[in-house]
Formats: sequence, structure tokens, C-alpha cells
Amino acid sequence: MTKETMLYTRDLIFSAIIRVCHWLRALSIVALVITGFYIAWPFLVAPQSSDVLVQGWIRMAHEIFGFILVAVTLARAYLFFFSKNNIERRSIKDVISPKAWFTQLKAYLWMGKAPHSGAYGPLQFVTYMGISVAAFFMCVTGLVLYANVYHLGLGGLLWEPSAWITQMMGGLAVVRLWHHYITWVFIIFVLIHVYMAVWMGIRFKHNSVDSIVSGYDYHPHHDEHEGK
Amino acid sequence: MDTHAALYEQGLARIASLRKLAPRKSKTLQQVMEDHGITRRDFMKWSASISAMLALPLPFSTLVAEAAEVADRVPLLWIQLAECTGCSESLLRASTPDVSTLIFDYVSLEYQETLMAAAGWQAEENLENAMRDNHGKYLLAFEGAVPTANNGAFLTVGCKGHTGLEIAKKAAEGAAAIISVGTCAAFGGVQAAAPNPTGAQGIHTIVDRPVINLGGCPPSEVNIVGTLMYFIMFGKLPALDMFNRPKWAYGARVHDNCERRGHFDAGEFVEEFGDQAAKDGYCLYKVGCKGPYTYNNCPTERFNAHTSWPVLAGHGCIGCSEPDFWDTMRDFEKPLGQQILHGLDADADTVGAVILGVTAVGIGAHAIGSIFAGKHEDK
Ligand code: HEM
Ligand code: SF4
Repeated sequence: MTKETMLYTRDLIFSAIIRVCHWLRALSIVALVITGFYIAWPFLVAPQSSDVLVQGWIRMAHEIFGFILVAVTLARAYLFFFSKNNIERRSIKDVISPKAWFTQLKAYLWMGKAPHSGAYGPLQFVTYMGISVAAFFMCVTGLVLYANVYHLGLGGLLWEPSAWITQMMGGLAVVRLWHHYITWVFIIFVLIHVYMAVWMGIRFKHNSVDSIVSGYDYHPHHDEHEGK
Repeated sequence: MDTHAALYEQGLARIASLRKLAPRKSKTLQQVMEDHGITRRDFMKWSASISAMLALPLPFSTLVAEAAEVADRVPLLWIQLAECTGCSESLLRASTPDVSTLIFDYVSLEYQETLMAAAGWQAEENLENAMRDNHGKYLLAFEGAVPTANNGAFLTVGCKGHTGLEIAKKAAEGAAAIISVGTCAAFGGVQAAAPNPTGAQGIHTIVDRPVINLGGCPPSEVNIVGTLMYFIMFGKLPALDMFNRPKWAYGARVHDNCERRGHFDAGEFVEEFGDQAAKDGYCLYKVGCKGPYTYNNCPTERFNAHTSWPVLAGHGCIGCSEPDFWDTMRDFEKPLGQQILHGLDADADTVGAVILGVTAVGIGAHAIGSIFAGKHEDK
């Protein structure tokens, strides 16, 4: 058995705020999918008393996690564009480079590895961008629905823009339908996302999953500065 | 309130000017009501309820009463296009005609195919005369969608074979205000349901000015007459919502004023028609009620002289006052999330689950591939 020694560098890739955002998003999305599907098809048996508002409480939970998601979605968009650290924005370079795509897809198919300019690979970046847009869409349609379930306070403030969006989308039923369809995007995303994160860590021996907890990733250290 | 005071003045002035015009009916409204055994007291109650429905304060009820009395000064043309006459019928065939029905009769109806005696060339002539004589003054009501494909060839009306499209455009030119009565005139209705081969559309898409949309299949008689009364009283359009429906009628969701709402929030649902929950009057959401997506005043105004409405009768709302409801509110006895998607014969959740399954299989294959692909070595 031969024994090799390799040197690794430990790099901070995710700042604390980005990690907090990630886990808040993860939590709220899981909670929203569950409570959302419950709202679509309420299956619990009610306790034969209208003092216990089963549907009401679940809707309330959905709305609370909804507002968390709204806040995180806004914060995350701000961080992406205006954060001092450009590690996320650097990935755009790979997205517009066909070569980066090619090496990336090859790496997924067990051929070689794909060094990144920033925090993400091109496919990964596009997927995250897509899921952020989907989250934004869910927030908008969710707030439109919210303006219809609560008419005072924030619901009242949102009424006029909500009416406009409802009109653009062709009615409240359409808003609700799309809010339901896009739910599936999140479910499917979570499955792929978790697998890819674990797989990347195992195959390329780096800190993929842990890094979103600790913030640090480690990379093999090379003397000649060829790799990143 | 100031705005109300101003509106009241506007109403008084409008009624005074209408009063100067010659009545078009031989009998006064009072005589008509006496003939039908409706007392002055009933009439005043009706006026008060109409002003309440229009969200106007009580003093306006005298204005409503006065407006009703001069209603025969306002010419009304009622044009029927691709429709089933259900809207007219709901207004006219009430078993106990109340004041609303009488007012509809009492308005100077210059043209209404269901009611008029004339036919053929004579009918055509009446329409042309009515449009000419009252040009710029008449209130125009449409019932039914207008087919627009093939230049409107899918609907021709009358002995001259004019298309619905031509008739609608011509009539709209001379109208003082336009009301689309019912979902077909407002949004196309069943004629416009997918795949809509005739290109049927709501009236507002073919005229270039505001149209009041009275969604509903049919709209309740009070919503029709309330809108007429508003126009007679003030000579202008009421405040309208996102789909140009009067806010006083379509300002709130059915769900928000439904008598079963307590059961909804408590999570008490009818599971199938006829079960114990149905007998106990639980919420109809799980058997397809579309009240949560529908704006209308059915729960408060009800139908047939305020007797009942679908949810009270035990069937969910089907969303009939919303645009494209035949397509968007399907299936009428399933909640929205279980809508069967066209061409797939499955609902969104089944499609989602299949994609999820395929994804899982793909991931499994990739994971197995990874085992055989050997290790990736750095350098
Ligand atoms: C990933 C994000 C989200 C998911 C997966 C999700 C999922 C769902 C689902 C499946 C439904 C039921 C739709 C149906 O009846 O078929 C629903 C309803 C609803 N959602 Fe969301 N949602 C999300 C975000 C939000 C947000 C950000 C809000 C904003 C506060 C929100 C507010 C609502 C409201 C108010 C309803 C309707 C509740 C009712 O009418 O009783 N949702 N959601
Ligand atoms: S019956 Fe329909 S409108 Fe009434 S509370 Fe239930 S879902 Fe809402």
C-alpha cells in the first residue's frame, strides 16, 4: 500500500450571512412545500370544533415561512449583486464560456475535473439562478394570494399591485395554479441538489456539503500555480 | 362625506335632466307596480337595499327611487350575440317578479330579441331606427360573446346576415355606455373555452372604450339592475375592479363572505357529496368549490329574490364570474390542484411525481456509474 501525502488549502468560500440565508431558505422551502400541499389537499381530520382552526393554523405557518422566504430572497439578491466579495459573480465568466460548460459536463460524466472561476460551476450557477427566479415567482404569487386572505395591514398595502398581477395572469385561479405547479420545481431541485452536493464532495474530495455549514472548503494545494 | 355629497348633487342634477325628457312608457312606474301588487313600502325597501348594495349611504335610497321612476327615459338596447339567453331568462323569469324585474321591464327597452314582438325585416328596422334615433344616448347591453375568427363568419344574426362582429361594432358607436351582461359578453364564456375554434371573445376586446363587465353565468338579477340603476342615477360608470367589473358587486371573494367559511378555517370538509359532513353543512373545498378564486356577491345577494345560491344549495362555486372559468376552474368537482391537464390526462401532482421518479432513477444510475468509473485522482 502506497501512502501519499497531499497538502490542502482551507479557503473561506461562503460568508456567515450567505450560510444563514442558505439554511433559512432550506428550512422555509421544506416547510412551504409541506404546508402548501396541505393547503391544496387538507387531509387531517378536524377536531369537530370550530375553536380549533386546523386550516387556519396551517395557513398561518405557510404565511410565516412565506415571509421568511420573501425576506431571504430579497437579501440574497442584494448580496449576489452588491456583496464586496465577488466569488459568486465570478462564476458568470464560466457560464458564458462554452469550454467551461464542456469540461463541467465531462466532469459530471467521470472524465477529468472542472476548475471554477468562482464559487459555482456553470450548470450549477444556472440552476441556482433558476431556483432563485422560481423563489421570486413563488414570493410574488404567494403575496398576491396573501393579499386575498388578509385584507388589512400588509395585505391591504399589497392589494393594488396584487390586483394588477392577478389581471395580468388571467385570474386568481391561474395565480394559484402556477403557485402549485412551481412547487414541484423545488421538490425536484432539492433531490438533485442534495445528491450533487454529496457526490461532488466524494468524487473531488472537497468540502462541498460541510462548506455551507462551516463556510470553508479545502482544495489540494499545488506548488506551480496552474490550478485554482 | 364630501365625495358622497358631491355624488348626491350629481345624481340630483342627472335625474332632473332625465325628468325633462318625455316618458317612453304610457304607464308610470307607480301604476306598473300597483298592477303587480307591489306596494310603495316594498318599493322603498327595494330602493334602500339597492343603495346599500351599491355601497351608498342610506340617504341615496330616495335617489334610487327617483331614478327608478325616470328609468323609462333612458333608452336601452339589448343585443344578443353568441349566447344561450340564460342571462335574460334569469332576469325575466323570476317566479315572483320583484321590483328588479319590473324595473328591467320599465326601462325603455328599445330592442330585446327575447321580448319583442317584431321579427324578420321589421326587427332589423327597429334596431336600425333605435340606434339612429337615440344615437349617443342609449345604454347598450350585450349578452353573449362575439366570434371573431374568419372575420366573424361564425355568427350571423337577422335577415340581412350581418355578423355579430359588425352588429356589435355598429351598436357600440352610438352608445352612451356599454354593459356586458354575463360571462360570455364579458370574457367569452363557454364559446371561448379552449380550443375556441370560432375565436369567440368578450365585447371589450372589439370596442375601443370601457365596457362594464358583469361576470356570472348568469349574473344575479340585482347585479344587472344595480348597474342599470347606477347609470341612470349618475350617468357614468361605477368604480371597476381589475376585470372592469363593478367593485360594489365583485369587490370581495365568494370565499370571504361564504356562510361555510368557518368550517373551511376549522378544517371541516365535505369529502363526498351526500356524506355526513355534507349534511352538516361543512365546507365544499375538497369537492371542488372555487369560491377562493372568485370575486362575486353571491353569498350576500344570492339569486331568485335572495332565495339561495349554489354553495347554500350544497354544490361548490364553479367560479362562473371569472375570465376563462371553463378552462381555469376545471374540474368543477375537484380542487384546483387536481385539475386534469389537457393532453396529459393527469394532474400536476402526478406529472410532478413522475418527473421526480425519473430524476431519482437518473440519480441512481449516475451513482452506480460513479462506483464503476473508478476514483478521481488529483495529479
Ligand atoms: C417555495 C415556496 C412556496 C411553496 C412551495 C408554496 C406552496 C404552496 C402550495 C402548494 C399552495 C396550495 C396551492 C393549491 O391550492 O393548489 C400554496 C398556497 C398559498 N401560498 Fe404558498 N408556497 C410558497 C411560497 C409562498 C410565499 C412566499 C407566500 C407569501 C406569503 C405564500 C402564500 C400562500 C398563500 C397565501 C396560499 C393560499 C392559502 C389559502 O388560500 O388558504 N406561499 N402555497
Ligand atoms: S364552501 Fe367554498 S366558498 Fe365556502 S368556505 Fe368552502 S371553499 Fe370557501
